[in-house]
Amino acid sequence: MKDLKHLYYFENLLQDVNNDLVRQAQEEGQTVIGITCYQIPEIILNLPGCFSVRMRAPRTGSMEMGTYYMTSLTCEYCRAMLERSLEGGYQFLDAMISPASCSQLADCMENIEVLKLCKKEKFFIQHVDTPMKSDENGVNHMIKMSRLKVLNKLKEVYGIDTSDDALKKAVALHNEVCRIITEIGEYRKEENPRITGYEFAVLCLITYCCPKDLILDKLRETAEELKTREPDKDYKKKYRARVLVAGSECDDPELIKLIEEAGALVVADRYCFGSFPGRQELILNEEVDILTQICQQTVIQCQCPRYMNTDRIQERKDYIDQLAKEYHADGLIYQQMKFCNFWGYERAASTHIMRDDYGWPVLSVDRPYVVGNSGQMRTRVQAFVESIEIKKIQGGDR
Amino acid sequence: MSRRIGSQPLGNFYNGGKTRTHREWRGFKDTWYDYTRWLFLWKTMIKFMLHPQNLKGFFRYRWMVNYLATLDFLDRHTEGLRGPQLRIAHMEFDLIVEHMCDTMSSLFAADANIGGDPQKSKKIVVFDENMMTQIMNGFPNLHCVCMEIPPIYTASTMCQDAVTHYIDVAEEYGVPSDVCPMPAAELGVAIDDDYPIVGCCAVQCNTTCDGSMMGNGIEARRFDIPMFQLAVPIRYTDPDTKDYAAQEIKNAIKFIEDTTGETFDWNRYFECMKVFNKETEYFREWLEISRTDYPQVVGNNVALYRDAYYQVCGGRDSHFMKNEKAICDIMMKAYQEKNQIVGEVRHRAILWGVQAQYYSAFPLWLQNCWGIVPLIDMLSLTSTDLYSEDDKEQAFYDMADLYAKMNMRNRSEGGYEVGVEDLWRFCEEFRADMVIMYEHVGCKSMTGYHGLFEEEARKHNMHLIWVTHGLMDPRKASRSDMRTEVNRYMHTVLQEKPLDPSLENFDDGNAW
Repeated sequence: MKDLKHLYYFENLLQDVNNDLVRQAQEEGQTVIGITCYQIPEIILNLPGCFSVRMRAPRTGSMEMGTYYMTSLTCEYCRAMLERSLEGGYQFLDAMISPASCSQLADCMENIEVLKLCKKEKFFIQHVDTPMKSDENGVNHMIKMSRLKVLNKLKEVYGIDTSDDALKKAVALHNEVCRIITEIGEYRKEENPRITGYEFAVLCLITYCCPKDLILDKLRETAEELKTREPDKDYKKKYRARVLVAGSECDDPELIKLIEEAGALVVADRYCFGSFPGRQELILNEEVDILTQICQQTVIQCQCPRYMNTDRIQERKDYIDQLAKEYHADGLIYQQMKFCNFWGYERAASTHIMRDDYGWPVLSVDRPYVVGNSGQMRTRVQAFVESIEIKKIQGGDR
Repeated sequence: MSRRIGSQPLGNFYNGGKTRTHREWRGFKDTWYDYTRWLFLWKTMIKFMLHPQNLKGFFRYRWMVNYLATLDFLDRHTEGLRGPQLRIAHMEFDLIVEHMCDTMSSLFAADANIGGDPQKSKKIVVFDENMMTQIMNGFPNLHCVCMEIPPIYTASTMCQDAVTHYIDVAEEYGVPSDVCPMPAAELGVAIDDDYPIVGCCAVQCNTTCDGSMMGNGIEARRFDIPMFQLAVPIRYTDPDTKDYAAQEIKNAIKFIEDTTGETFDWNRYFECMKVFNKETEYFREWLEISRTDYPQVVGNNVALYRDAYYQVCGGRDSHFMKNEKAICDIMMKAYQEKNQIVGEVRHRAILWGVQAQYYSAFPLWLQNCWGIVPLIDMLSLTSTDLYSEDDKEQAFYDMADLYAKMNMRNRSEGGYEVGVEDLWRFCEEFRADMVIMYEHVGCKSMTGYHGLFEEEARKHNMHLIWVTHGLMDPRKASRSDMRTEVNRYMHTVLQEKPLDPSLENFDDGNAW
């Protein structure tokens, strides 16, 4: 396929958390908020005058200092972020919002806070308790926390407009981004997709890591470009299986590239930093308060294993099954950042359940944070692709 | 060999076998007392085994075999003790043994796996091991069973390799080996179908940690009964989370009412809370004495017992309150007599982090070998607040507060203030000069503070000794490995000699 015009530009932006667009927006007077997790509604961090940046640690090498503070037995994503903080890599942030998503992320944020690793005068880290169930009480809790801990704090410290009008504008911007990403993502359903999983991962990740208004024009252009893009003719040779990737935090498209190089086209992304969930429009109604609608969407759509009610546990499996069917996947890859408690259990259970109860071939792997050159991972994916092929040849069940 | 503390080289009792070579001579009076308690425990256990249903349970569940080591457990937890401490230990542990026998009898009487009575089963509400039980104070007609306690929690203290089989089962299922072995082992029991089948409904809780909560989710698939998940706030010290937490309690009570047809009995609830408050007052007295030069109720005599009455009984069993009153009397008398609990008090220590279940007698080793007095441990430093005895609306908030402040959870969740900062406050209050810092390799909560602990210890000029362990899996760090870390620090940093050199290195790798 012909290269996407802006792909290289987007890839370059992902090389640094404090990229050109973040710097540009900050120079224009915008407040930058670092965020680690989907648990806080992204919309309320993208009001006029501020924008969110999902915190990553691209090009991570050594994590020795992070490991000293958090030991070698904790999640590498957290350690990499702490390392980057110790190196001064997040000095540009004006605030960090730290939802009580998992204890390791919370510890990482507290290390950053206690060690005073961000020096801006008005910088703050806000710890926010978030619900663990998606019932009425959970939604009410999310509304309360969003209002008290996030909106009020942003207004108080940085004078951000948190009125309903401002929220409406933020929803409109969010929806515009989601519409484009959804339109692009739909091409992955095609029999011979005109976009690869890697390309989509780059485009999707960009929307989490840059000021949204500054990427819209190039995203629109890319969507236009894709309308007439010719898919590869030798698609079947290159990709011998279509897979859905599910699992824990994945902020490095190199993982998707590795999977695709091993012969499996990634047609759906159900992982943290992916598009399911996270890139769905919010259609507002007039009856319900805007903040309530925003929080409802976050709580109800969230697919994080920390949602503990039994019906949600089941729903997560149904959701993967539905996505995999919709995007014509041949198999599922459950990937988990090593030392992640939530996904350690979720992956183990899902491997059995999705195989036994839903009939999907499942590859279940744990991985380090920096995974792009992992030979082990490549071998695992290759073997998985072969197993799917053999099943197809033998005409067996999935 | 005499009644004097430290008169016997205790390490010589170990020869690499399952049990020790012989019993300890503590002087006539203490040895006789210890012997009579030994007989009492035999009586309790034989009585338990004589019940046909319990006998069936014994042969049905592989984890039951661990309880054969109960008497050895008692010996381990009274090693080197004399006078008041020996009596306090027996008063506590003997009551726990009785309570465990009652719990298991109730469990087996209703267990469908061994032909138990379905009517009794309908009166049981299954609770998660890792949660407070105060909600059940308002349901006098129902019986609460913390399901994972007999197979895993208690069993793992009886016998050091008690639950390794279940850990292996969970890992074979696909659970990573780096997670905490406790929820992994609990899940292993579920996968092995080794839980008794009882209960009309169940309540699970997001305590104590992320791993525990996730294990519950899979276990729930094995329990074919209505299930409620009680979500307790993580940042529970934030006052803005209180309404959410109280509403969760209300929802849990409504769930039990709807499922069982029972109504929450406020009178009974407040009666239990009176007992609970009284117990808290006694506990405060224990702590008060531990702050003096003559601490009396310390180490193991706090750690395991506090767990039992604070969390599992929650004020419903007044035997514990009476026991605490008696302990308080012994303690006060010993304090007035300036009784020293070890031959020589060299260091006053706070034990922080999560203790190793397979070496719950470790604090006793600290005092016997090195004269380190384990004043108090993190798991016991739970809420010492008194709760309402008559205000119904406040009671929801009280229960929510207690659920948030469950043993361990109140430190492993809640943030830096309760996980790290409080430690230095306690060191000051208890006039400690040393922190024994348990590093449980599978615990993802506390290990994230590793570097901060070290830096803060330096600032506070405090000796901080890391003791690495695997909680319920001695294959990750043996009892001997734990001791070695202390030995090294004491020799190289403090340049001290042990009080009892025989305890420095001995072979208990194969012991119960």
